[in-house]
Amino acid sequence: MIAPALILFTLFLVYPVIYSLGFSFTKFQGFGSPEFIGLQNYISLGQDPFFWRALQNTVIILIVSIVLLVPGSFALALLLRRKVPGGGALRALVFGPAIIAPILVGLIWVFILDPKIGLLNRLLGFVGVAPVQWIGGDTLTPYAVALVFIWGSIGFAMTIFYAGRQVLPEDVMEASELDGATGFQQLRYVTIPMMRETFAIVTILMITSVFKIFELVYMLTGGGPVHRSETLVSYMYFTTFTNQKYGLGMALAVIITVLGAVVSVAYLALSRERKTA
Amino acid sequence: MRTTRTDVIDESMSTDLTGTTPEHQKPKRTRRRAAAIASGAVAYLITFLVVLPLLWIVLLSFQPSGNILGNPFSLTNLTLDNYLTVIGSLPLLKMYGNTVLIAVVAVSVGTAISFTAAFALTRMIFRHRKVQSSLRFYILAGLAVPVYILLFPVYRLDLAFGVFGTYAALILPYIAVSIPFNTLLLTGFLREFPSELEEAAIIDGAGLGRLCWTVVLPLMRPVIATILIFNVVYVFNEFPFASILINNPDMVTVSLAVSRFQGQYTVDYGGMMAAATLVLLPQLVIYALFQKQVIAGMTVGAVKG
Repeated sequence: MIAPALILFTLFLVYPVIYSLGFSFTKFQGFGSPEFIGLQNYISLGQDPFFWRALQNTVIILIVSIVLLVPGSFALALLLRRKVPGGGALRALVFGPAIIAPILVGLIWVFILDPKIGLLNRLLGFVGVAPVQWIGGDTLTPYAVALVFIWGSIGFAMTIFYAGRQVLPEDVMEASELDGATGFQQLRYVTIPMMRETFAIVTILMITSVFKIFELVYMLTGGGPVHRSETLVSYMYFTTFTNQKYGLGMALAVIITVLGAVVSVAYLALSRERKTA
Repeated sequence: MRTTRTDVIDESMSTDLTGTTPEHQKPKRTRRRAAAIASGAVAYLITFLVVLPLLWIVLLSFQPSGNILGNPFSLTNLTLDNYLTVIGSLPLLKMYGNTVLIAVVAVSVGTAISFTAAFALTRMIFRHRKVQSSLRFYILAGLAVPVYILLFPVYRLDLAFGVFGTYAALILPYIAVSIPFNTLLLTGFLREFPSELEEAAIIDGAGLGRLCWTVVLPLMRPVIATILIFNVVYVFNEFPFASILINNPDMVTVSLAVSRFQGQYTVDYGGMMAAATLVLLPQLVIYALFQKQVIAGMTVGAVKG
């Protein structure tokens, strides 16, 4: 009974991970047999400015997204808990982008962010702001990608906060009100501490999602100009499948997997420490 | 969202606002009302900003090509021309046919084998209990693996098994990556679920197959629904695997077709937007119809995963 799942899982998930790890120590261009070169791929990546640029972009997206998205979606959840006419419909609309294919999200945002034809520069033009090169320039692309990521995830994160707030025991809230807590005090000393676990869930989910960002870059800039807007995953895809440097690509894939896990675990450890402190 | 005590309290608070209030509470009441109006306005503004990009795509899809570069906000000469060109050039039926076929096979097989596995992992008695719990842990560890590390090895596996170029090339990895998540939800559900009913069925003479499929499965409808929704959304929107494992133009999936719009329509922005709208609208309609289940399915899934 367990055999079919176990076989498929082992063959198409566990074995590939080991295979990638093994390939990351070889030089392989798609023909002949892979040649063992030890840690050479990892050393080459360390000397590759495009790799560091991709890492930097990923970190920028990570920081901007987490800093804006976590408090933003929490605030939105609290806002939508209040009696707003049509609140249910608003929640459904804000969640909407989460079900759209990332590749289509990327295409849609080309028409918002494109410096010449995009909606954003046209709207800014009405108030006299000169066109800004949101994508395709040298610096702004990771911030633009973070914006698109936030757009796609805010409703999702809000829904988790909304559900988390919904199950808080209401007698505690009432007690704090009777004790004369102001709205802010209640939020700071009751609501947020009681929702610590929800904050951890949302933050971890967003960290792992940022480390998977690929389609947005693929559609918005293709990683260009000259790899200056790549994320780690899009650069891995390019190295592996466009450049066909399979060994190098797998080394990059291993680094991404380890980094994603390390950041998530580090966040969990930090938030647990704060809880005991 | 399910109704909880908080909902009830919310409602009683708001009726209090509109009902009669003693004179001395008036200033507080007006302040409260102002705050309610302000937060309502902010909520509407944010929602509008979220929906705006979609409205923009739909608007552009009805613009004659001259207007897109010149005056895209004009509402006077809207036209269906873009749609007429696109319907001729876009293999809509093929895209959707392929994606639905892949999704139906991958999700139904993935759910079925995960279900039998989860049943074995929680209900059957293994000679060594440790084997059972380590098998469960082994499968759940798959949750920590990002799909990007699988792309190249799966491509090589598909070639080695001779399935590259068939639907199975994509279906097999889709099933495999769904197993850890499905197992997590199903074993979680089965562990909390009382087994008395199953014991009664066994006493009545039900065999293992009947027990599994006709006694337990129907009771698990909610968790199965969550799994189906989560996986169907994943397969429908998946791009990285599809981009590598499909090289036959007759087998393109929806995501794959969308990724080629920029090359296909180049500067025919109106056409590109009409094509994007034709992909977007069916998704949004289905979402609107099953909104509650979809939101629940995706968030419960994500939180547990």
